[in-house]
Amino acid sequence: MDCEVVRERLVALAVGRLGVGERAEVARHLEGCAACRRAAEIEAELSAALDRLPRVAAPGTLRRRLEQLVAATAEPSGGTATASETRSDEAHRTGEPARAAPWVGGAPRTAETRRGLWMPPLVSAFAAAALVLVVMRTTRPDAPPREKDPSSLVGEALNDHLRVITSTHPLEIESGGIHQVKPWFTGRLEFAPRVAFSGDDDFPLLGGSVGYVRDRKAAVMLFKRRLHTVTLLVFPPEGLDWPRAEARPVGRLAVVEEAARGFNVLLWKDGGLAYALVSDVNPRDLELLAVRLNPQ
Amino acid sequence: MTRHTLGREALAHADALYNHARRLTGGEADAEELVQETYVRALGSAHTFDGAYLKAWLFKIMRNVFVDLYRRGRHAPALSELDVIDGDAAHAGTHRNQPALARLPPIVMVASEIEAALGALSDEARTIILLDLEGFTETEVAGVLECPLGTVKSRLSRARALLREKLKDYAPPAALPDDGRRGGA
Repeated sequence: MDCEVVRERLVALAVGRLGVGERAEVARHLEGCAACRRAAEIEAELSAALDRLPRVAAPGTLRRRLEQLVAATAEPSGGTATASETRSDEAHRTGEPARAAPWVGGAPRTAETRRGLWMPPLVSAFAAAALVLVVMRTTRPDAPPREKDPSSLVGEALNDHLRVITSTHPLEIESGGIHQVKPWFTGRLEFAPRVAFSGDDDFPLLGGSVGYVRDRKAAVMLFKRRLHTVTLLVFPPEGLDWPRAEARPVGRLAVVEEAARGFNVLLWKDGGLAYALVSDVNPRDLELLAVRLNPQ
Repeated sequence: MTRHTLGREALAHADALYNHARRLTGGEADAEELVQETYVRALGSAHTFDGAYLKAWLFKIMRNVFVDLYRRGRHAPALSELDVIDGDAAHAGTHRNQPALARLPPIVMVASEIEAALGALSDEARTIILLDLEGFTETEVAGVLECPLGTVKSRLSRARALLREKLKDYAPPAALPDDGRRGGA
């Protein structure tokens, strides 16, 4: 391999896409070529920098909208629609002649056809999905749907916890202690999460990220309790329907405890902010952590 | 595959799509809308999915939605820094014309600086780097971008060279190499 061929393979080498044989050939060349070796180091440094980028999970509000969109296709005509029916629906929806996936590989749509995207024919399952979307679009993000179920803030916290623990990259900042995690939130939130606890042997702090509770950003911090993950959400409570379950004193806090789907959720307010702890550990463990988070 | 089945399987890629959309649009609200629109279109064209690789198919739709809705309307298109490689300078960014063999600053950059440098690239350059970062093969990237495999290779190489140049802007003076001139403002 000469220098030119090697240089063309350095990106693939840096991202680990070269086969064994090619990798060995490139490596042999690099041993004897300082210039190419330097170029390879540079590509490797860039790949390492890119690998440090955090991955951000889809907000719960978005995920729920997508789930509703998909659920709407499960209606009788949605799951069994033939291709021709689907194309016909699509043509009806857009006002264009039916053709295969006009936006995939074809010419971009015009503004007129985009406007037509939201005209809801009431006879198709897809229209139902689109209608759901239209309704949601008119309410997002400034006017979130009014919450009717008073305990659903618990469900919101639980969904956030599930999203975090099932995410491949749940942390945007890994912990070197609370003094590293808390400043990371500066500029990412419209409030300063007040958390005095920096983790200990009982509840080591893993790190944090930014999440959502309803329509607002939340500080998300992860703690460990033995083999279990505990999610702490800190968010402004204004305008949210607080669970009506009776609060009971835990330390100086008035804590609402609820259980859902095998998880326990603790909610309380302190200093103008709302806190939610979610985990499958028992409620007493969560109370211990709550007291450490908001000491006397 | 029914539309509903495809939709359910597509939900597994919501995080990847949102992550990609956030870096494409640079904003959370725009990213949410882009993802949502992608799902609407994917469900509407479920019958055209060939069953091969759902994630790549979804990214391809997102790419087209982005071009339709965002780059054409809401965001002024960034001057394409990669267009040159489709012409005579097809080897820009490779050996002989490599413009930027400057080292990255020997410091641990924080993610926000890398994201800012990515955000300063053109849509084309940013997209191809992000698709590569997402783990797609060059062949899959070619499918998403609907361009030849050779173009993907040269564009990726050129885009990475441009990103290196942008990253130099974030180096503190002490971290610059000895010949260290900055790559920008």
